[in-house]
Amino acid sequence: MTTAPTLAAGFGAEPIPGAELMQIRDVIYKSAGIFHPDNKLRLLWDRCGRRMRELHIPSLREYCDCITTKSTRQAELVALLNEITIGETSFFRNQPQLEALWRVVLPNIIQAKSRLPLRRLRIWSAGCSTGEEPYTLRMLLLEECASQLKDWTTEILATDLNERSLAHAQEGLYGAYSTRNLTPIYRNKYFIPQTDKLQVNALARSNVAFSRLNLSDDSRMTFMKSLDAIFCCNVLIYFDLASKRRVIQHFYNNLLPHGYLFLGHSESLYGVNDDFRLVHLPGATAYIKGERPPVGGRAL
Amino acid sequence: MTTATATQRVLLQKLEGLRHIPTIPAVLAPLLRYLQQPAEKIDVQKVTDILSQDKSLAAQCLQMANSSLFGRAKNVESLRSAVVSLGVHNVSDIAMSCGVLNILPRDQAGLDPVVFWEHSLGCALVCRHLARKINFGDPAKAYLAGLLHDLGIILNLWILPKEFHEAWDLGKADGIPLDEAENRCLGFTHCESGRWLAERWQLPPDLIDVVTYHHSPEKSVEHAALTSLVQLADLLCRMGNLNYGYVEQRQVSLREQSGFPYLAKDFSGLKDLDWARLTFELDGYLEEVHRLVHAIYRA
Repeated sequence: MTTAPTLAAGFGAEPIPGAELMQIRDVIYKSAGIFHPDNKLRLLWDRCGRRMRELHIPSLREYCDCITTKSTRQAELVALLNEITIGETSFFRNQPQLEALWRVVLPNIIQAKSRLPLRRLRIWSAGCSTGEEPYTLRMLLLEECASQLKDWTTEILATDLNERSLAHAQEGLYGAYSTRNLTPIYRNKYFIPQTDKLQVNALARSNVAFSRLNLSDDSRMTFMKSLDAIFCCNVLIYFDLASKRRVIQHFYNNLLPHGYLFLGHSESLYGVNDDFRLVHLPGATAYIKGERPPVGGRAL
Repeated sequence: MTTATATQRVLLQKLEGLRHIPTIPAVLAPLLRYLQQPAEKIDVQKVTDILSQDKSLAAQCLQMANSSLFGRAKNVESLRSAVVSLGVHNVSDIAMSCGVLNILPRDQAGLDPVVFWEHSLGCALVCRHLARKINFGDPAKAYLAGLLHDLGIILNLWILPKEFHEAWDLGKADGIPLDEAENRCLGFTHCESGRWLAERWQLPPDLIDVVTYHHSPEKSVEHAALTSLVQLADLLCRMGNLNYGYVEQRQVSLREQSGFPYLAKDFSGLKDLDWARLTFELDGYLEEVHRLVHAIYRA
């Protein structure tokens, strides 16, 4: 019924195999919360093809078995997710999400805090990897939100589990791939050229604090307080459901009442948490804190 | 109309001055009437015969029948095989879509209507998808409702191209919903002009309600569920890629829309619906919707 990609075949013009790929898409969505719409199925097929070549699996049917059979499922899912998210880290990666932040979300946050004496904005990049996301947020706040945030103190907390990634982030030196989306304005204003790379300058580093944090470390998670927004992109996809639920519950507690949680592109909290509520922003989605039913009582 | 409001008076004045109004393609009215009967009574040959009366429409239908958006199983080479392999209601969806795309003349002055066709076709697909997910019962009706909900925009493009262009520019500049911008620039919205056209076309009462109340489904007395379904699908499209050529700069919670409780009351599936997945699925429609609308409207 369907044609599996052969080891030598390209993935360009061939018809996309149906049933197996749909099954793989559903497995990924159910376990990792990341969805591949129809126009991304060719990409998913290509990523499965890479894994199949690696494992010498000749057909998509057999690969589908591999990713659904209990003994091999977890390890293979992680390997496939790595293929899916490879090369995802770059500056200004998710443009619609960033635009929604400065055009809609920030004005909402500013309005919510307008009556408070302390004008402070705290954003957390949870799972910041090599630092492109927190620096992007910092530059965005400096550039697009300067007038909105006049007289405000801004803090960007950037955490990751991986020490090598954090060291890279702190060095702030990036190659052509990560910096490909930078406009000349950002490139000239916030970077110093270093041979064939670009290094983040002092202005873009200001008020960005990196630290090592394991999102599963309950005791440390409770100390992340008073946040206006959390960005946690392509991180929770690797967590099992119970751990994901715990982390999300922490995020809920870490955020201020008007706070926002942003996930990666096509990433969802469906079936993970009922306290957060999905909202639609221009070209993006985010989660806000919904009303909680009273503790120990019945919700009416 | 003795109770005409100021808005309606402005609109009626404009409409009374019209020499021609957009007409629905001739074969679609008998097709729609024929498809109103129970599915088991529908004869495939009869459907094919009705559609074949308009050769250009039939050719466009074949083009659309070969799109992945209509669950194409294999190459569809004739209208009859389209009806057999895709089913009568899918072909009806296709025929209505092609028919609606032919309403406006191609040399229309003012705004390029392509973005509105893309939005309408996208909204129709989302309505059908949403209807299936919540067991709405009549996905074909939901599709048609999504396809026709912005009929008033087509009329506004026709009767007041310059003023409507201004309203669209205002909507885009301020990132506000188009009906708000129309109210400011025209004194009425596409819901009101759409109602006028829907009544002239003698659309069934549920579709007239959709056209009139898709921004305020709570006002629909008898068809609040269908109208609410369109309200939610329309919003999903407008906040995503299948918008009117600009994205509204605001935050929308679908659960807080006025139509949500009307739909949730009768369709319990709505409460547990995975809105995030539905939103991501829309991304997958965009390229194909764009390709189809260009292939058919620009042909």
